[in-house]
Amino acid sequence: MDSDQDKSEIHLKWMREAMNMVIGVFNFPIKNSSITQAEEAMQAGEVPVGCVFVRNAQIIARARNRTNQLRNATRHAELEAIDSILADPSLNPVVTEHPLSTTTLYVTVEPCIMCASALRQMGIQEVFYGCGNERFGGCGSVLGVNAHLDHPRHPAYKATGGYLREDAIMILRRFYITENTNAPIPKSKANRVLKTDILPSKLPQ
Amino acid sequence: MGPSIEISRLPKTTTQPYDLEGNPDDIIPEEKLPFDRFKLPPEEETAEEIRTVIAWAIDIPDARHTSIMLRWLKQHKLDEELGHLKRVRRKDGVTSLLLHPVSLTPSLPEFPQEVSMQSPYQVSVPASAALTPLSHELKNKLWPTIFAPPRKDQVDPWTRGKLRWACSAIEKLQAESSKAVAHGEFPIVAFVPPPHEISGVDFSESFTGFDTRQSTNHPLRHAVIDVIRQIAEFRANEGSSSTSLNAVEADSDDSDPIPDTSRSQNGSRYLLTGLTLFTTHEPCIMCSMALLHSRVKEVVYLRPMPSTGGCGGVACLPALKGVNHRFGILHWKNVTDQGLFSLSEDVDA
Repeated sequence: MDSDQDKSEIHLKWMREAMNMVIGVFNFPIKNSSITQAEEAMQAGEVPVGCVFVRNAQIIARARNRTNQLRNATRHAELEAIDSILADPSLNPVVTEHPLSTTTLYVTVEPCIMCASALRQMGIQEVFYGCGNERFGGCGSVLGVNAHLDHPRHPAYKATGGYLREDAIMILRRFYITENTNAPIPKSKANRVLKTDILPSKLPQ
Repeated sequence: MGPSIEISRLPKTTTQPYDLEGNPDDIIPEEKLPFDRFKLPPEEETAEEIRTVIAWAIDIPDARHTSIMLRWLKQHKLDEELGHLKRVRRKDGVTSLLLHPVSLTPSLPEFPQEVSMQSPYQVSVPASAALTPLSHELKNKLWPTIFAPPRKDQVDPWTRGKLRWACSAIEKLQAESSKAVAHGEFPIVAFVPPPHEISGVDFSESFTGFDTRQSTNHPLRHAVIDVIRQIAEFRANEGSSSTSLNAVEADSDDSDPIPDTSRSQNGSRYLLTGLTLFTTHEPCIMCSMALLHSRVKEVVYLRPMPSTGGCGGVACLPALKGVNHRFGILHWKNVTDQGLFSLSEDVDA
């Protein structure tokens, strides 16, 4: 059996992969990043959230937020990845009510209420995330769609935050401190200072 | 979809206790309207919940110059916005004048020469009037705000014309739902018509979303998601290069920053802003949150889904603390045919 520490190492490994989906946008040096320059350009201006879906110790899908590019506020990283999984027949050998029942999600930010519900309807096995999402979080921060709410068909799933949490927070802060040139009314953020202190998580771990 | 079916063969599903014939501008009494409205708890009652806009303001060192500045404001038509706020603020012996939203006037015209001025600065002010005393107190801390509690007897009155518009949308749902069932899908349909009131929302098309879970073996192909995607594609093709879905501020200091995907500042072209979505069944939690992310104005549904719904069923998403948008929820009551729209209670609509 794996020890707890081994398991934690494994989760961190996958979370780094999720982080790599967005980290290149900010010109951090990354080893083995799969992001191409073209993708980075498209990604610019998106809220940086990345994810990977893992089945049998392999990544079966990776995605990031594309709400700006598609002008569709619902195209979050998780839904992008789910669509790519369902579009690949080799990943869905049999039609089943819960196609993700042996699949784990690693995502840099707690899934929002919409994605948390989508994941439950897909029968996701388990979710690991970086930092919490106080305004939209669907795995306990605003609403416990993953487990707290009853559902007549779809099983609850466990969602655990705190993996690479500080990195996840810093990536979002770097995003918010940069001029968002896609906004119709760019706000001057010249006076903003990147805060580096991170308070302890208020989330139930 | 396939061949159209004869509408006349559909069961008669609505009984109309009101008269749709007559002056379209007549207000229909609330008790005669064929729906229940969901009452949302008061909002903007914590400092974090206050929605704000950025506006220009300027301090007037000599209070006697205030009237000159007010004339200047009028002359440049800069007094036509922010009517929900007091124009002049006197605080700690300093007189300040509120000018105009920065978004509408990125650079200000020249000030009158006879007045010596400090430089204008940007200030975050409430985006709307205060509806409750607590909200008023909080908003006044940002800038003196008008107090305008809603009149209890006048919540968004419906005219006969609006009722006709809604009834025709309900009929559309019924017809499309029957077609969907004939194609072996769930009877769930979402429909977004052009808005009844012309309110600066440039939207002349109507869109119908279908549930294709059965034929695609994709558990998330819900009708609401489908119609949102259609509208997004339509608007993207309009070439709205200025539309942004994440003009976001995460100003909360000590919490984890949040990927907010929306902000009302983006104006009327923001996805479903100003639009009403009609649907056969109360949307599930995923779809209700998708509608919140998309800034829908209101949701009208026929069948409640008490075990799976996100608009009052298992949860009521626009009533949650902390979410950054609210939409109205109407439950259309007098659809009498129980066979139509039949759907197992454990399905996410």
